[in-house]
Amino acid sequence: MLPYEPDDTLAHRLDPRSKLAVQMGFAIAALSHTTPGALLACTLLTGAIMVTTRVPLGRTLAAYRVALVVLVAGPLVTTLSLGSPWLDPSEGVGPALASYRALLVLLVSAAYVRSTPVRDSRAAIQRTIPGKPGRLLGAGIALVFRFLPVLRADLRTIREAMAARLGTERSALERASTTGVLGLSRAFTRADRLALAMQARCFSWNPTLPTLSFSRVDVPAFALAGALVLSVLL
Amino acid sequence: MKTENEHESVELVDGAVVRQFARAALLAALMGAAVVATIPYPLSPAPVTLQVLVVFLAGLYLGPLWGAASIGLYLAAGAAGAPVFSGMTGGPGVLLSEPTAGFLWTFPIAALVVGLVVHRGLALRDPADVPLATVVAGLTAGLILTYVGGTSWFAWLIGTSLTEAAVAVAIPFVPADLLKMAAAIVIVRSGAIDTV
Repeated sequence: MLPYEPDDTLAHRLDPRSKLAVQMGFAIAALSHTTPGALLACTLLTGAIMVTTRVPLGRTLAAYRVALVVLVAGPLVTTLSLGSPWLDPSEGVGPALASYRALLVLLVSAAYVRSTPVRDSRAAIQRTIPGKPGRLLGAGIALVFRFLPVLRADLRTIREAMAARLGTERSALERASTTGVLGLSRAFTRADRLALAMQARCFSWNPTLPTLSFSRVDVPAFALAGALVLSVLL
Repeated sequence: MKTENEHESVELVDGAVVRQFARAALLAALMGAAVVATIPYPLSPAPVTLQVLVVFLAGLYLGPLWGAASIGLYLAAGAAGAPVFSGMTGGPGVLLSEPTAGFLWTFPIAALVVGLVVHRGLALRDPADVPLATVVAGLTAGLILTYVGGTSWFAWLIGTSLTEAAVAVAIPFVPADLLKMAAAIVIVRSGAIDTV
Protein backbone atom coordinates (compact mmCIF):
# COMPACT_ATOMS: atom_id res chain seq x y z
CA MET A 1 0.00 0.00 0.00
CA LEU A 2 1.36 3.42 -1.02
CA PRO A 3 0.26 6.31 1.16
CA TYR A 4 0.81 10.06 0.96
CA GLU A 5 3.99 11.01 2.83
CA PRO A 6 4.65 14.58 4.00
CA ASP A 7 7.95 15.81 2.56
CA ASP A 8 9.54 18.85 0.96
CA THR A 9 10.28 17.60 -2.57
CA LEU A 10 9.55 19.61 -5.71
CA ALA A 11 6.50 17.45 -6.40
CA HIS A 12 5.11 18.19 -2.94
CA ARG A 13 5.27 21.93 -3.69
CA LEU A 14 3.43 21.63 -7.02
CA ASP A 15 -0.28 22.32 -7.36
CA PRO A 16 -2.20 19.00 -7.63
CA ARG A 17 -3.66 20.13 -10.96
CA SER A 18 -0.26 20.47 -12.60
CA LYS A 19 0.73 17.04 -11.22
CA LEU A 20 -2.45 15.55 -12.72
CA ALA A 21 -1.61 17.27 -16.02
CA VAL A 22 1.89 15.71 -16.03
CA GLN A 23 0.40 12.30 -15.17
CA MET A 24 -2.12 12.52 -18.02
CA GLY A 25 0.50 13.85 -20.45
CA PHE A 26 2.90 11.07 -19.52
CA ALA A 27 0.22 8.39 -19.96
CA ILE A 28 -0.78 9.78 -23.36
CA ALA A 29 2.86 9.98 -24.51
CA ALA A 30 3.81 6.53 -23.17
CA LEU A 31 0.73 4.78 -24.55
CA SER A 32 1.13 6.28 -28.04
CA HIS A 33 4.75 5.14 -28.56
CA THR A 34 6.14 1.61 -28.34
CA THR A 35 9.51 2.10 -30.04
CA PRO A 36 12.50 1.18 -27.84
CA GLY A 37 13.86 4.75 -28.19
CA ALA A 38 10.65 6.35 -26.93
CA LEU A 39 10.49 3.84 -24.09
CA LEU A 40 14.05 4.73 -23.10
CA ALA A 41 13.07 8.42 -22.97
CA CYS A 42 10.00 7.54 -20.89
CA THR A 43 12.17 5.41 -18.58
CA LEU A 44 14.59 8.31 -18.01
CA LEU A 45 11.70 10.69 -17.31
CA THR A 46 10.09 8.16 -14.92
CA GLY A 47 13.45 7.77 -13.14
CA ALA A 48 13.81 11.56 -12.83
CA ILE A 49 10.26 11.91 -11.46
CA MET A 50 10.75 9.06 -8.97
CA VAL A 51 14.08 10.42 -7.73
CA THR A 52 12.81 13.99 -7.29
CA THR A 53 9.71 12.73 -5.47
CA ARG A 54 11.77 10.21 -3.41
CA VAL A 55 9.54 7.26 -4.34
CA PRO A 56 10.96 3.96 -2.97
CA LEU A 57 11.20 1.66 -6.05
CA GLY A 58 11.18 -1.66 -4.21
CA ARG A 59 8.14 -0.88 -2.06
CA THR A 60 6.29 0.55 -5.06
CA LEU A 61 6.87 -2.58 -7.16
CA ALA A 62 5.77 -4.72 -4.21
CA ALA A 63 2.55 -2.70 -3.93
CA TYR A 64 1.79 -3.19 -7.63
CA ARG A 65 2.62 -6.94 -7.58
CA VAL A 66 -0.84 -8.03 -8.75
CA ALA A 67 -0.60 -5.73 -11.78
CA LEU A 68 2.93 -7.01 -12.41
CA VAL A 69 1.69 -10.61 -12.60
CA VAL A 70 -0.89 -9.65 -15.26
CA LEU A 71 1.66 -7.50 -17.13
CA VAL A 72 3.99 -10.51 -17.38
CA ALA A 73 1.15 -12.94 -18.17
CA GLY A 74 -0.04 -10.87 -21.18
CA PRO A 75 3.14 -11.17 -23.30
CA LEU A 76 3.53 -14.83 -22.22
CA VAL A 77 0.06 -15.71 -23.53
CA THR A 78 0.88 -14.20 -26.95
CA THR A 79 4.10 -16.26 -27.30
CA LEU A 80 2.08 -19.47 -26.97
CA SER A 81 0.32 -20.85 -30.01
CA LEU A 82 -1.92 -23.87 -30.54
CA GLY A 83 0.30 -25.88 -32.86
CA SER A 84 3.85 -25.82 -34.16
CA PRO A 85 6.06 -24.05 -33.14
CA TRP A 86 4.03 -23.85 -29.85
CA LEU A 87 6.33 -21.18 -28.46
CA ASP A 88 7.23 -18.12 -30.55
CA PRO A 89 9.15 -15.52 -28.51
CA SER A 90 9.14 -12.95 -31.36
CA GLU A 91 5.33 -12.71 -31.03
CA GLY A 92 5.76 -11.55 -27.44
CA VAL A 93 8.14 -8.62 -28.07
CA GLY A 94 5.45 -6.06 -28.95
CA PRO A 95 3.22 -6.98 -26.00
CA ALA A 96 6.26 -7.04 -23.66
CA LEU A 97 7.16 -3.46 -24.65
CA ALA A 98 3.50 -2.49 -24.20
CA SER A 99 3.49 -4.06 -20.72
CA TYR A 100 6.66 -2.19 -19.85
CA ARG A 101 5.20 1.25 -20.72
CA ALA A 102 2.13 0.43 -18.63
CA LEU A 103 4.47 -0.24 -15.70
CA LEU A 104 6.13 3.17 -16.24
CA VAL A 105 2.74 4.93 -16.02
CA LEU A 106 2.05 3.11 -12.74
CA LEU A 107 5.40 4.27 -11.31
CA VAL A 108 4.71 7.91 -12.25
CA SER A 109 1.33 7.56 -10.57
CA ALA A 110 3.06 6.36 -7.40
CA ALA A 111 4.90 9.69 -7.38
CA TYR A 112 1.54 11.50 -7.53
CA VAL A 113 0.15 9.46 -4.63
CA ARG A 114 3.24 9.97 -2.47
CA SER A 115 3.29 13.75 -3.00
CA THR A 116 -0.41 14.69 -2.89
CA PRO A 117 -2.59 14.81 0.25
CA VAL A 118 -6.16 13.60 -0.24
CA ARG A 119 -7.77 16.98 0.51
CA ASP A 120 -5.67 18.57 -2.24
CA SER A 121 -6.85 15.94 -4.74
CA ARG A 122 -10.40 16.53 -3.59
CA ALA A 123 -10.06 20.30 -3.99
CA ALA A 124 -8.47 19.85 -7.44
CA ILE A 125 -11.33 17.62 -8.61
CA GLN A 126 -13.95 19.94 -7.16
CA ARG A 127 -12.37 22.99 -8.83
CA THR A 128 -11.96 21.24 -12.17
CA ILE A 129 -15.45 19.71 -12.43
CA PRO A 130 -17.97 22.56 -12.23
CA GLY A 131 -21.33 22.70 -10.47
CA LYS A 132 -23.14 20.24 -8.25
CA PRO A 133 -21.58 17.02 -9.69
CA GLY A 134 -18.13 18.38 -8.77
CA ARG A 135 -19.29 19.20 -5.23
CA LEU A 136 -20.77 15.74 -4.66
CA LEU A 137 -17.71 14.08 -6.20
CA GLY A 138 -15.37 16.04 -3.92
CA ALA A 139 -17.38 15.26 -0.78
CA GLY A 140 -17.90 11.65 -1.88
CA ILE A 141 -14.16 11.02 -2.32
CA ALA A 142 -13.55 12.33 1.19
CA LEU A 143 -16.26 9.98 2.53
CA VAL A 144 -14.78 6.96 0.72
CA PHE A 145 -11.39 7.67 2.33
CA ARG A 146 -13.04 8.09 5.74
CA PHE A 147 -15.18 4.94 5.60
CA LEU A 148 -12.78 2.60 3.80
CA PRO A 149 -11.07 1.42 7.03
CA VAL A 150 -14.46 1.22 8.80
CA LEU A 151 -16.02 -1.02 6.15
CA ARG A 152 -12.84 -3.10 5.91
CA ALA A 153 -13.15 -3.73 9.64
CA ASP A 154 -16.85 -4.60 9.11
CA LEU A 155 -15.98 -7.19 6.45
CA ARG A 156 -13.24 -8.62 8.66
CA THR A 157 -15.69 -8.93 11.57
CA ILE A 158 -18.22 -10.68 9.32
CA ARG A 159 -15.61 -13.13 8.04
CA GLU A 160 -14.29 -13.86 11.54
CA ALA A 161 -17.82 -14.42 12.84
CA MET A 162 -18.53 -16.77 9.93
CA ALA A 163 -15.28 -18.68 10.54
CA ALA A 164 -16.09 -19.02 14.26
CA ARG A 165 -19.43 -20.65 13.29
CA LEU A 166 -17.73 -23.06 10.86
CA GLY A 167 -18.83 -20.87 7.92
CA THR A 168 -15.63 -21.90 6.14
CA GLU A 169 -17.13 -25.39 5.76
CA ARG A 170 -20.08 -24.02 3.79
CA SER A 171 -20.36 -23.61 0.04
CA ALA A 172 -18.69 -20.68 -1.73
CA LEU A 173 -22.14 -19.42 -2.82
CA GLU A 174 -23.45 -19.32 0.74
CA ARG A 175 -20.32 -17.56 1.96
CA ALA A 176 -20.41 -14.96 -0.81
CA SER A 177 -24.12 -14.20 -0.35
CA THR A 178 -23.85 -14.02 3.46
CA THR A 179 -20.88 -11.67 3.21
CA GLY A 180 -22.80 -9.59 0.64
CA VAL A 181 -26.02 -9.29 2.68
CA LEU A 182 -24.25 -8.49 5.95
CA GLY A 183 -21.70 -6.16 4.37
CA LEU A 184 -24.29 -4.20 2.41
CA SER A 185 -26.84 -3.93 5.24
CA ARG A 186 -24.15 -2.71 7.63
CA ALA A 187 -22.93 -0.20 5.04
CA PHE A 188 -26.49 1.08 4.42
CA THR A 189 -27.21 1.36 8.17
CA ARG A 190 -24.07 3.45 8.49
CA ALA A 191 -25.09 5.49 5.42
CA ASP A 192 -28.53 6.30 6.84
CA ARG A 193 -26.99 7.46 10.13
CA LEU A 194 -24.39 9.45 8.17
CA ALA A 195 -27.11 11.12 6.06
CA LEU A 196 -28.90 12.25 9.23
CA ALA A 197 -25.66 13.55 10.71
CA MET A 198 -24.79 15.39 7.47
CA GLN A 199 -28.20 17.07 7.39
CA ALA A 200 -27.87 18.03 11.06
CA ARG A 201 -24.57 19.72 10.13
CA CYS A 202 -26.10 21.62 7.17
CA PHE A 203 -24.49 19.60 4.34
CA SER A 204 -24.54 22.25 1.61
CA TRP A 205 -23.76 22.86 -2.03
CA ASN A 206 -21.36 25.70 -1.14
CA PRO A 207 -18.84 24.54 1.49
CA THR A 208 -15.43 26.02 2.29
CA LEU A 209 -12.50 24.34 0.55
CA PRO A 210 -8.75 24.53 1.06
CA THR A 211 -7.34 27.20 -1.24
CA LEU A 212 -5.22 26.03 -4.17
CA SER A 213 -2.94 28.38 -6.05
CA PHE A 214 -0.51 27.99 -8.91
CA SER A 215 3.05 29.18 -8.27
CA ARG A 216 6.11 29.65 -10.45
CA VAL A 217 7.16 25.97 -10.13
CA ASP A 218 3.89 24.96 -11.81
CA VAL A 219 4.86 26.62 -15.09
CA PRO A 220 7.57 24.07 -16.04
CA ALA A 221 5.26 21.23 -14.90
CA PHE A 222 2.54 22.40 -17.30
CA ALA A 223 5.12 22.91 -20.04
CA LEU A 224 6.27 19.30 -19.51
CA ALA A 225 2.67 18.05 -19.64
CA GLY A 226 2.08 20.00 -22.88
CA ALA A 227 5.31 18.70 -24.43
CA LEU A 228 4.36 15.12 -23.53
CA VAL A 229 0.94 15.49 -25.17
CA LEU A 230 2.50 17.06 -28.28
CA SER A 231 5.02 14.20 -28.51
CA VAL A 232 2.13 12.08 -29.79
CA LEU A 233 2.51 13.94 -33.11
CA LEU A 234 6.14 12.82 -33.49
CA MET B 1 -12.60 41.43 -0.34
CA LYS B 2 -14.82 38.48 -1.24
CA THR B 3 -13.03 35.26 -2.11
CA GLU B 4 -14.39 32.23 -3.95
CA ASN B 5 -14.76 30.51 -0.59
CA GLU B 6 -17.05 33.18 0.90
CA HIS B 7 -20.81 32.82 0.55
CA GLU B 8 -23.73 35.00 1.62
CA SER B 9 -25.95 32.04 2.53
CA VAL B 10 -25.95 28.27 2.91
CA GLU B 11 -27.53 26.32 0.06
CA LEU B 12 -28.64 23.07 1.72
CA VAL B 13 -28.63 19.78 -0.15
CA ASP B 14 -32.10 18.20 -0.39
CA GLY B 15 -32.75 15.43 2.18
CA ALA B 16 -33.56 12.73 -0.41
CA VAL B 17 -30.33 13.52 -2.26
CA VAL B 18 -28.31 13.37 0.98
CA ARG B 19 -29.68 9.88 1.76
CA GLN B 20 -28.94 8.49 -1.69
CA PHE B 21 -25.58 10.23 -1.77
CA ALA B 22 -24.55 8.78 1.62
CA ARG B 23 -25.57 5.29 0.48
CA ALA B 24 -23.67 5.74 -2.79
CA ALA B 25 -20.55 6.90 -0.93
CA LEU B 26 -20.68 4.00 1.54
CA LEU B 27 -21.26 1.48 -1.23
CA ALA B 28 -18.22 2.94 -3.01
CA ALA B 29 -16.23 2.42 0.20
CA LEU B 30 -17.62 -1.15 0.43
CA MET B 31 -16.43 -1.70 -3.15
CA GLY B 32 -12.97 -0.55 -2.04
CA ALA B 33 -13.08 -2.74 1.08
CA ALA B 34 -14.15 -5.76 -1.03
CA VAL B 35 -10.75 -5.74 -2.72
CA VAL B 36 -9.40 -7.64 0.30
CA ALA B 37 -12.46 -9.94 0.57
CA THR B 38 -11.07 -12.66 -1.66
CA ILE B 39 -12.45 -16.10 -2.35
CA PRO B 40 -9.99 -18.91 -3.01
CA TYR B 41 -9.97 -19.70 -6.72
CA PRO B 42 -7.27 -21.84 -8.33
CA LEU B 43 -7.57 -20.76 -11.99
CA SER B 44 -6.55 -17.14 -11.69
CA PRO B 45 -3.16 -15.41 -11.34
CA ALA B 46 -4.80 -12.46 -9.52
CA PRO B 47 -6.99 -12.99 -6.44
CA VAL B 48 -10.74 -13.15 -7.10
CA THR B 49 -12.56 -10.49 -5.09
CA LEU B 50 -16.21 -9.84 -4.38
CA GLN B 51 -16.07 -6.53 -6.32
CA VAL B 52 -18.29 -7.66 -9.19
CA LEU B 53 -20.91 -8.61 -6.57
CA VAL B 54 -20.77 -5.05 -5.23
CA VAL B 55 -21.24 -3.67 -8.78
CA PHE B 56 -24.38 -5.85 -9.11
CA LEU B 57 -25.65 -4.66 -5.72
CA ALA B 58 -25.06 -1.01 -6.72
CA GLY B 59 -27.36 -1.37 -9.73
CA LEU B 60 -29.89 -3.43 -7.76
CA TYR B 61 -30.20 -1.30 -4.63
CA LEU B 62 -29.19 2.22 -5.71
CA GLY B 63 -30.75 2.15 -9.17
CA PRO B 64 -29.16 3.16 -12.47
CA LEU B 65 -28.15 6.75 -11.64
CA TRP B 66 -26.89 6.49 -8.07
CA GLY B 67 -25.53 3.00 -8.68
CA ALA B 68 -23.36 4.24 -11.55
CA ALA B 69 -22.46 7.35 -9.53
CA SER B 70 -21.39 5.16 -6.63
CA ILE B 71 -19.03 3.04 -8.71
CA GLY B 72 -17.78 6.23 -10.41
CA LEU B 73 -17.03 7.60 -6.94
CA TYR B 74 -15.06 4.44 -6.18
CA LEU B 75 -12.94 5.00 -9.31
CA ALA B 76 -12.44 8.70 -8.46
CA ALA B 77 -11.35 7.89 -4.90
CA GLY B 78 -8.94 5.30 -6.29
CA ALA B 79 -7.57 7.83 -8.76
CA ALA B 80 -7.07 10.26 -5.87
CA GLY B 81 -4.87 7.64 -4.18
CA ALA B 82 -7.18 5.49 -2.02
CA PRO B 83 -5.84 1.90 -1.90
CA VAL B 84 -9.00 0.45 -3.46
CA PHE B 85 -7.76 -1.29 -6.61
CA SER B 86 -6.52 -4.88 -6.85
CA GLY B 87 -3.57 -5.53 -4.54
CA MET B 88 -4.59 -2.44 -2.49
CA THR B 89 -3.12 0.07 -4.93
CA GLY B 90 -4.39 3.49 -5.95
CA GLY B 91 -3.45 6.51 -8.02
CA PRO B 92 -4.42 7.82 -11.45
CA GLY B 93 -1.95 5.53 -13.25
CA VAL B 94 -3.94 2.42 -12.37
CA LEU B 95 -6.91 3.70 -14.37
CA LEU B 96 -4.68 4.82 -17.23
CA SER B 97 -2.46 1.81 -17.73
CA GLU B 98 -3.32 -1.19 -15.57
CA PRO B 99 -3.91 -4.20 -17.85
CA THR B 100 -7.26 -4.89 -16.19
CA ALA B 101 -8.38 -1.25 -16.00
CA GLY B 102 -10.94 -1.95 -18.76
CA PHE B 103 -12.99 -3.83 -16.17
CA LEU B 104 -12.79 -0.85 -13.82
CA TRP B 105 -13.94 1.57 -16.54
CA THR B 106 -16.91 -0.63 -17.47
CA PHE B 107 -18.07 -1.23 -13.86
CA PRO B 108 -20.11 2.04 -13.65
CA ILE B 109 -21.76 1.29 -17.01
CA ALA B 110 -22.54 -2.25 -15.81
CA ALA B 111 -24.16 -0.85 -12.65
CA LEU B 112 -26.18 1.54 -14.87
CA VAL B 113 -27.35 -1.31 -17.11
CA VAL B 114 -28.24 -3.59 -14.18
CA GLY B 115 -30.20 -0.70 -12.63
CA LEU B 116 -32.01 0.20 -15.86
CA VAL B 117 -33.08 -3.38 -16.58
CA VAL B 118 -34.13 -4.24 -13.00
CA HIS B 119 -35.89 -0.95 -12.19
CA ARG B 120 -37.20 -0.42 -15.75
CA GLY B 121 -36.28 3.26 -15.61
CA LEU B 122 -35.06 5.79 -13.09
CA ALA B 123 -37.69 5.29 -10.33
CA LEU B 124 -36.57 2.65 -7.81
CA ARG B 125 -38.61 -0.42 -6.97
CA ASP B 126 -37.86 -3.19 -4.47
CA PRO B 127 -35.67 -5.74 -6.31
CA ALA B 128 -37.32 -8.55 -4.28
CA ASP B 129 -40.62 -7.81 -6.13
CA VAL B 130 -38.99 -7.85 -9.59
CA PRO B 131 -39.50 -11.11 -11.58
CA LEU B 132 -36.47 -13.39 -11.30
CA ALA B 133 -36.01 -13.48 -15.09
CA THR B 134 -35.66 -9.69 -15.20
CA VAL B 135 -33.02 -9.74 -12.45
CA VAL B 136 -31.08 -12.50 -14.21
CA ALA B 137 -31.30 -10.62 -17.54
CA GLY B 138 -30.01 -7.41 -15.92
CA LEU B 139 -27.09 -9.13 -14.17
CA THR B 140 -26.15 -11.07 -17.31
CA ALA B 141 -26.15 -7.91 -19.42
CA GLY B 142 -23.96 -6.17 -16.84
CA LEU B 143 -21.53 -9.08 -16.67
CA ILE B 144 -21.19 -9.41 -20.46
CA LEU B 145 -20.54 -5.68 -20.67
CA THR B 146 -17.66 -5.88 -18.16
CA TYR B 147 -16.13 -8.76 -20.13
CA VAL B 148 -16.35 -6.80 -23.38
CA GLY B 149 -14.78 -3.73 -21.76
CA GLY B 150 -12.08 -5.66 -19.91
CA THR B 151 -11.10 -7.81 -22.88
CA SER B 152 -10.93 -5.02 -25.45
CA TRP B 153 -8.91 -2.78 -23.10
CA PHE B 154 -6.39 -5.57 -22.47
CA ALA B 155 -6.13 -6.33 -26.21
CA TRP B 156 -5.56 -2.63 -26.99
CA LEU B 157 -3.06 -1.97 -24.17
CA ILE B 158 -0.91 -5.06 -24.50
CA GLY B 159 -1.39 -5.41 -28.26
CA THR B 160 -2.80 -8.94 -28.30
CA SER B 161 -5.71 -10.29 -30.31
CA LEU B 162 -9.18 -10.28 -28.68
CA THR B 163 -9.09 -14.08 -28.31
CA GLU B 164 -5.73 -14.03 -26.53
CA ALA B 165 -7.00 -11.21 -24.31
CA ALA B 166 -10.13 -13.19 -23.44
CA VAL B 167 -7.99 -16.23 -22.55
CA ALA B 168 -5.82 -14.06 -20.28
CA VAL B 169 -8.36 -11.91 -18.43
CA ALA B 170 -11.95 -13.04 -19.04
CA ILE B 171 -12.53 -16.77 -19.57
CA PRO B 172 -10.72 -17.96 -16.39
CA PHE B 173 -13.05 -15.76 -14.32
CA VAL B 174 -16.39 -16.91 -15.78
CA PRO B 175 -17.13 -19.57 -13.10
CA ALA B 176 -16.26 -17.19 -10.25
CA ASP B 177 -18.42 -14.43 -11.75
CA LEU B 178 -21.37 -16.80 -12.22
CA LEU B 179 -21.00 -17.61 -8.51
CA LYS B 180 -21.19 -13.88 -7.70
CA MET B 181 -24.25 -13.57 -9.93
CA ALA B 182 -25.91 -16.41 -8.02
CA ALA B 183 -24.97 -14.70 -4.74
CA ALA B 184 -26.60 -11.45 -5.94
CA ILE B 185 -29.78 -13.37 -6.77
CA VAL B 186 -29.79 -15.04 -3.33
CA ILE B 187 -29.39 -11.60 -1.72
CA VAL B 188 -32.26 -10.12 -3.78
CA ARG B 189 -34.62 -13.03 -3.05
CA SER B 190 -33.84 -12.87 0.69
CA GLY B 191 -35.44 -9.39 0.74
CA ALA B 192 -33.08 -8.47 3.60
CA ILE B 193 -32.11 -5.07 2.19
CA ASP B 194 -34.38 -2.10 1.43
CA THR B 195 -33.97 0.58 -1.19
CA VAL B 196 -34.38 4.21 -0.04
